[in-house]
Amino acid sequence: MIIKHADKIASPEVLQKAFEQRGYICSDAIATAVYLACHLQKPILVEGPPGVGKTELAKVTAEYLAAPLIRMQCYEGLDEAKALYEWKYGKQLLYTQVLKDQLGDVMRGARGLDESVERLHSFGDIFYSEQFLETRPLLQALREPDGAVLLIDEIDKSDQEFEAFLLELLSDYQVSIPEIGTVKAKSKPIVFLTSNNTRELGDALKRRCLHLHIPFPETHLENQIIASQVPDMDENLRGQLVDFVHELRQMALKKVPAISESIDWARALLLLNVESLDEKWVRDTLSLLLKYQDDIEIVEPELRKIMNQIKT
Amino acid sequence: MQRVFADFIHTLRQQGVPVSPTETLDALKVAELLGLQERNQLRHGLGLVLAKNQQDKQTYEHYFDEFFKFTEVDAHAEGEGSEGEEGSQQEPDESNSDMTARGEGQSEASSSSGQGGGQSEDATDGQEASDDPAVQAQSQLGQMLQAGDAAEIAMAIARAGQQEGVQNIQLFTQKPLFSYRMMNRMGNESLNQELLELDGSNELDQQRLAARLRNAQARLQEQVRDYVEQQYLLYAEAKGQQLRENTLQKVKLTNIDNHYLHQMADLVRKAAKRLASLHSRKRKLRKRGLLDVRKTIAANAAYDGVLFHTRWKTTVVDRPKIMVICDVSGSVSRVARFLLLFVHSLQEVLPRTRSFVFSSDMGEVTDLFKDQNLEEALGEIMSKWANQSTSYDKALGDFSEQALQDVDQKTTVIMLGDARNNNGNGRADIWQKVYLQAGRVLWLNPEHINSWDTGDSIMASYRPYCSELHSCNSLRDLERILGNLLKHS
Repeated sequence: MIIKHADKIASPEVLQKAFEQRGYICSDAIATAVYLACHLQKPILVEGPPGVGKTELAKVTAEYLAAPLIRMQCYEGLDEAKALYEWKYGKQLLYTQVLKDQLGDVMRGARGLDESVERLHSFGDIFYSEQFLETRPLLQALREPDGAVLLIDEIDKSDQEFEAFLLELLSDYQVSIPEIGTVKAKSKPIVFLTSNNTRELGDALKRRCLHLHIPFPETHLENQIIASQVPDMDENLRGQLVDFVHELRQMALKKVPAISESIDWARALLLLNVESLDEKWVRDTLSLLLKYQDDIEIVEPELRKIMNQIKT
Repeated sequence: MQRVFADFIHTLRQQGVPVSPTETLDALKVAELLGLQERNQLRHGLGLVLAKNQQDKQTYEHYFDEFFKFTEVDAHAEGEGSEGEEGSQQEPDESNSDMTARGEGQSEASSSSGQGGGQSEDATDGQEASDDPAVQAQSQLGQMLQAGDAAEIAMAIARAGQQEGVQNIQLFTQKPLFSYRMMNRMGNESLNQELLELDGSNELDQQRLAARLRNAQARLQEQVRDYVEQQYLLYAEAKGQQLRENTLQKVKLTNIDNHYLHQMADLVRKAAKRLASLHSRKRKLRKRGLLDVRKTIAANAAYDGVLFHTRWKTTVVDRPKIMVICDVSGSVSRVARFLLLFVHSLQEVLPRTRSFVFSSDMGEVTDLFKDQNLEEALGEIMSKWANQSTSYDKALGDFSEQALQDVDQKTTVIMLGDARNNNGNGRADIWQKVYLQAGRVLWLNPEHINSWDTGDSIMASYRPYCSELHSCNSLRDLERILGNLLKHS
């Protein structure tokens, strides 16, 4: 990655401030991770529960460094052809048809098979050249002249084979394409890998990465996050909201509300012109926070208790 | 600096955090980049490269705090101790910080006791002493104590510790020994000698000095003990733990004391998890028969559409089903707990496991394990099914009713039991049916092979209908056998 302004990543604090201006409030650990990733040129593996801003981190980094964000969503069955490159088969077919006559011209006058083959050789591998190469996200990221931010989203969803395939890319920033040769990064991209921990990733992959775990934020941090995302919200209400969500996270729920849910909820409360959090409003809007009926049933009888707790 | 890091990483490894050499190098780079001034930043930064899952992160954070306790005091002490030399001592700085790192524990101690009580006292004492050079302590240690420089004492303790090799401490019983040796190394004996002489004199000044020195000596002793304690916690505790775990793995399940049950549960869980992570990988099998049209056309586009290479659809083949039957009757009751523990862990990691328990009636406990936590489930099983006399005929009869229809060629049936049937009919015919229907039948007997078929054991009648028979009497056996099972499935 060529960073045009070295002072942009002068220290973790600078990053933290800059991200804050862009509406991404991050902890020291996150800022340090991005700082180190930029300087050590190592990929970051970001883990954490869904909705804590893993993908968002890559986006805001790309925006801040004014680099293109290349995103690759992983899923089961993802293979090289979809991640790295593919040949443009249709184009190849079409060209062979169109060029048939031309081929006749070239061959004309050649004596014997040997000479024909000789002539053919002199044209090189026309059909396996750059023009017929369909780049996919990974190759694209390597060929970006000024470097890019590469986001490999939900790596845990991909197969183990794919994970192994990534190793070369992540440690040396190069990939091998049999027909063309090894493609080296023009400028090393900053790589973010995100994982929801649906399966344990291999040690080899982890070893090559900085490992960042983003937990649910502490109350004051979450307060800041909501303040930046929903600026019109009353400070008092915001405090209550954050405390309430914090209480919910302590309970044994199937899926505890993440930051994105609290932001949604804050927006909803703003829209409904709620001035202070009371039991009725919470009951009516609880479905925004909790995504399972079971969870709602667990929380509802406890509502009064929680409300009392956050008031005190 | 490298030494400190090496020690720190050594500590982490002992605590079970797997840190590879490349990660060590990364850690050094991180430290270089971030500098050592910002403790919090360094803590986050090192955490990124050294600990790569959540459990390791916790361990890491705990031990970072433990290990680098000194840093705040350190800056203070250094400023105080070597103001003059700071400029000239650029290079030896490395070894210097190294030393203080080893002295981490007690420099903290000295900041509380040494600096609070000691300093003020020494300030006045020091003046007094310098007024009258005649009452200077003679021995080296005595002079140092009299000067009362916390940083210097800390360094001296660290140096003595290093010379005596405190890092090699293994057992808590060695603590006094190491403290004693370190005191001696620092010149305690000549100090004692001097104290004796001072006591003998009848001059007031001398006696006062003796009292002061004795005080300081006691304080020093305390600090040394703290230091050793800290080193023990850092280096030896994990070793002891490892030793215990190793023995527990080898010891016969029947002989394990109830006291160790708890630790055993952890071990079993670890073993099951290890097995699962080794084998949880899905394997793809190429199956001839289904042509993948899209890929085939793509692969052959270059040949003008003539299909040279065929591409076949791949099918994901599932892991085989496992049915575990566990005897919980009186004769195996001691082992049953562990077997159940293992079954439980296995069920956690291999989702297609069904578990049954019996002593005379057989019951399926798959859901019980799924819904309840381990302790509750074990309790319920023990109270509901155990403590009856064994009856394999009844149990196998129940099994054929409940589960025989689900046994197919992909199923592995594991029986954990001693085949002691109180002289009843063993119904080996049912077991034969199971054997014919299942892909594989495993019998794990907690008794040693020599005691099979003695007394009321009817192992011989089941023997023909088992693909494999093992005597399984320790955690290590269990792990090995099931590891093989998973490998070949």
